[in-house]
Order: sequence, then structure tokens, then C-alpha cells
Amino acid sequence: MLKKLAYAVGALALLFGLWGVYIRLFEGEQSANYGSYIGWGLWVAMYLFLAGLAAGAYMLAAFDYLFNVPQFKGTGKTMLWAALVTLPAGLASIGMDLGHMERIWKVYLQPSFTSFLTLMVWGYTLFLILILVSLYFAFTAPDKKAMKVVMWIGFVTAILVAGGVGFLLGGNGARLYWHVGLLPAQFPVFAVASGAALMLLLVGWFMPGLEEKQRHDLLWLLAIISIATSVVKLYFLAADYTQSLYGGATDNLIAVNYVLSGPHAFMFWGVQIVLGLLIPVIVLAQPKLAKNGTIAGLMGVFLLIGYAAARILIVVPGQVAEMMPGQAAAFYGPKLTLDYTPSLMEWSVTSAVLGFALLGILIGMDYLLAYFSRLTARLTEVKK
Amino acid sequence: MSNEAKLLQKYASEVFAGLVAPLEGMEISAAPAEDPLAAEDVLVRMHRELARALEKSPSERRWVMVIDLRRCIGCHACTVACVAENKLPPGVVYRPVMTEEIGTYPNVTMKFLPRPCMQCEHSPCTEVCPVNATYHNEEEIVVVDYEQCIGCRACMAACPYGARTFDFGYHYAEQLPMFDGAIVGGQTAAGYEHISQEYGQEWERKGRHESPVGNVRKCHFCLHRIKDGILPACTTTCIGRATYFGDANDPDSLVTELINKPNVIRLKEELGTEPRVYYIV
Repeated sequence: MLKKLAYAVGALALLFGLWGVYIRLFEGEQSANYGSYIGWGLWVAMYLFLAGLAAGAYMLAAFDYLFNVPQFKGTGKTMLWAALVTLPAGLASIGMDLGHMERIWKVYLQPSFTSFLTLMVWGYTLFLILILVSLYFAFTAPDKKAMKVVMWIGFVTAILVAGGVGFLLGGNGARLYWHVGLLPAQFPVFAVASGAALMLLLVGWFMPGLEEKQRHDLLWLLAIISIATSVVKLYFLAADYTQSLYGGATDNLIAVNYVLSGPHAFMFWGVQIVLGLLIPVIVLAQPKLAKNGTIAGLMGVFLLIGYAAARILIVVPGQVAEMMPGQAAAFYGPKLTLDYTPSLMEWSVTSAVLGFALLGILIGMDYLLAYFSRLTARLTEVKK
Repeated sequence: MSNEAKLLQKYASEVFAGLVAPLEGMEISAAPAEDPLAAEDVLVRMHRELARALEKSPSERRWVMVIDLRRCIGCHACTVACVAENKLPPGVVYRPVMTEEIGTYPNVTMKFLPRPCMQCEHSPCTEVCPVNATYHNEEEIVVVDYEQCIGCRACMAACPYGARTFDFGYHYAEQLPMFDGAIVGGQTAAGYEHISQEYGQEWERKGRHESPVGNVRKCHFCLHRIKDGILPACTTTCIGRATYFGDANDPDSLVTELINKPNVIRLKEELGTEPRVYYIV
């Protein structure tokens, strides 16, 4: 039932999203609400979210293939597959944000290596290749040394690319809200947290082939990881915001007050804190509830929504302080504003991206992984 | 009686004639006591210095802009001139003038801050560009290669001065009615605003996908004018003569004279960007 519902949600999201993708591709960016002062909006936030999810999924696959944690046994392929789906979804989101996405090849052939963005594009490409190679070895030689080597390289790369997106924002010295050393440091924690939340959802609702005891144990372990990372994230948040409020630097105050009491304060208090943190932590702290697949999966959804909201509340508030006082009022024109609420077209494109990711993961779990297993088994037989 | 007074007396009503009566016996002249043309306008001097600078090789010049905040009256003529010169579409601005109200009623005054691109020597915007689409040209002016830019807006996020805006493909004339065969209306106006001469080449903004649509745009000190020995549009249109432009490597230039004074500042010096725009305060 839950799976059917998930397929339906994924299909509807993709269907609604196709409208936005069409508008974006054929009519340009005018119907987006990001502009010249808030230049990075929902799509950039979703890129951070999905790319972090991919890194987190890969790290959790390493729990099976590298660290041999018994509760994770047999889950590695699914998590590698989830990484393989969510990373392109994230890259699609950032691709839609480019004014000239057809020129993306220039980042490979005419790159500037002083740009951290270049390093990220190259890093994600390497990461994508590593996911593919890991998945290949997962089917063909999961116990061989080559798999371990690739997984180690992939694990370190996942940490680096996860931290890298923090640097991508934090490296902007003029944006005080982003320009804190804590930002790149907390993104790998975000990645593990979102990977664990995704796994709660997948194990709780969909993952086939797990014995009940392993499923219960795994859900409990994931619940502990989720609680621990949520507490660490909350500490990061509190440290960052209290320091900013106490320090009183104008741009920081503007950004933090925007989060706490601005026009989208509900996104912080309602979505990120209550729905995405307090409820899951309280529920998952109860072993009985945490081991219930339906409830654990639902908490995984809540956590994921909270992490997505957290990314939006990192990206957008960093741009709400005027770079020059009086800038927004100095010249009038479309998109010369500090107000930002994603447009329907932006939500639609995000819906397509998320629908693609959800359907991709589900189809992979239900059909592709089994198909690849059969294929590799047949190839091995032919070789023999 | 002067001619002006005679004229007024002849044509004005009696009441008004009464008002001008005291003018009788007074000498009225349009010209002030001193002939303003006797002193050289700074624009003339700067044009002469510009010609001198252009005789040097590009790498030997150091273009700087100096803005005297005491003389700026907040007329926005520079902003409008810049928009007209570069055919900037709606939502794109290179040189806005920030207005700040100081004090509380009745003790209030206004402060104006024109903000072109700072043409930073250590420019954060060029460093973050993933494809070298924005860079320092041979004269160290920060330029944008529209055909190279992928539109990622990383430079917008990096600029500490908010000096970059994104071209979303708007046109001022797109809502105007069309009149076939007439010289007014959407088509004619659109044709005018489409073609800009930035960077010495014609840029037709036809669709919503062709550069510079989908690119980040910025002030380039009107390089296309400088090349022909003409000062930037903002400089020539400043009615208060508050904007100065020239070669700071020329020891005898006006800008060198001005930036060597103690009452000169640069914006956000603490960020280490080393702007080439100076403000006299």
C-alpha cells in the first residue's frame, strides 16, 4: 500500500514537474522568483539537499561494504543505488539554475581552477564515477579488495564533496551568514543525517529481503544515528545563531532575524525544528516506535523535509542582507528585490526533480537491482 | 531700464508689473560676474588626459574612478546615462545611486552614493567564475565574456558590492503596441533597445536564451567609449561634476591628484579587494 502510494506520489510529482521543466527550458527564467539580489534560491537549496543525500547514502553503504556493520548487511546496493539516483537529481536541480546550461561542458574543457565551483563539478563527476564503479563491484565482486579500495576512495570523496558545498557558500567572504568555519564542517554531518533519514524511509517502508530482526535492529540503529546527528545539528545551529546574535554584526543580524522572525519563520520553527527535528527525535527515541517500519519510515520523511528546509534556510538568508545599504531601493526593475518566495514554476521543477529521485529509487529497488543481480549471475555462468 | 524689465512691463499684468517695478534702474544680466567658460571644465581636462593615456600601452594604464560625494546631488543622471549607453534591459543596472536619509525631522539631510563596479584588483567575482568568463582584461578592468558565461551567478554571490545583476531577458518595449509601417510602437523601440555596443561589439538581445540574456552583467567603465577617447557615460553626464575618471599611472592626471588627498576612501577596504573606485568625503 505504502509502495503504491509512493509510486503515485512520485508519478504525480514528475507529471506536475514536467510543466515547470518545459517553462524553464523554453521560456527561460523570467517566471522564477530568484533575481539579482537573491540570486540563488530553491533549486540551489535542493542541489545542496540532494547532493548531500547522495553523499550520505554512499557513506551508509560503506557501513555494509567497508565497516561490515552486521545490521547494515545486504543494504549496501540499495544505498549505492540511492546515491546514483539522488546525485544526478541534485545536479539536474543546479543545472536548471544555470542561465546557459548548454555551456556546462566548458567547466570540463575550459575550467578555472581558482573557482571552487569548478572543483565541485569535477568532484561530483568523480563521485558519480565512483558510485558507478562501487555499484559494479557490489554486483560482481563485493568481497574483493578492489571493492574496499574503491569504497574507501568513495567514502573520503563523499565527505569532501559534502563539505565542499559548505565551502561553496562559506568561501564568499562578503556574506557573513555563510562565512563561518562551521559551515563546511557541518555539511558532512548533514550528509550522514540525511542519508540515515533516507534509509529509515527505505528500510521502514520499502526495502525487500530483510529479516524482521535485522529490520528492527537496523531501524533502531538508524534511529540512534538520526537522533545523534539531529542533536549535533541543533548544537551547530544554536552555536551559529547565538554567536551571530551576540556578536551583532549587522548582516548577520539581518540574516538570523530573517530566519527566526522573518516572512518565512514558519519554515524554520514549524518545518525545520518541530516537524523535521523535535517530532522525529521524540518518536525515534522510543525503541518500540523506532522499530515499527511504518512509523520509522514516516519519521524518515519528516527528517528529510526538515533537512530540505534547513538547506533553504542556509541558502536564502545568506543573501537577504543588502551588499550596499539602500541597494534594493536605489533602482527599480524586475527581480531587483530582497523578497524571495519560490514561484510555482520553481516548485514545479523541484517537484520534477524529487519525483524523478523517488521513482528512480523505487524502480531501482523493485526491478533494476534484481535485474542486475540476475544479469551478473548469468554473465558469471557464461564465463565459467 | 534693462531690456528684460521693459519686456516684463510691456506684457505682464498690472499686478505683476508692480512686482517687477523695483527692477527699474537695476541692471539685469543673464551672465554672472565671472565667465564660467574662463575656467577649464574638468571634463575637458579629463578628455585631454584620456587621450594622453591612450597613447600608452594598455598594461601601463591604471583606470580609476573618483566620486566626490560632496558634489553628488542624487540626480541619478549617471544611472540613466549608463542604462541608455549600454541599452540595459529592465532589471539590469550597472551604476545605481544609493540614497540614505540622515537625521530625524526637522534635522534631516540626504546622502548619495553612486556605485559603479569597483573594478577590484583582488576581485572575488573573477576568482569564483568556473569558466574564466569574467576576468581582468589587459587594462585590468573586470569584464564579462557573454559567450563564455554559464550563468551560474557565483560572481553575484561573491561580489561584496552587489555590483552585478542578471539579465533575465526583459525588454522595456515588450508591452508596447505594434504599428506596422509606423516609426513608433513596440517594434521600433524594441529594435533600439536590443542592440548594445558593449565590449566593442553588437549584442542583439533577441530571444530569452541568447547572450547576454542568461548572463551576469556589470559595469565595465564604458570600455567601448574609452577605446575611442571618450569618457564613461556616467562621467560626462554628471551635472555636479562629481565623477572623475582617468589614468592613475599618470602623475599629472586629475584622478592622481584627487586620490592622493587624505579625504579619500574606498568601500569595504577590510575585505582586501583593493577597489579602483575612490570616494572623496
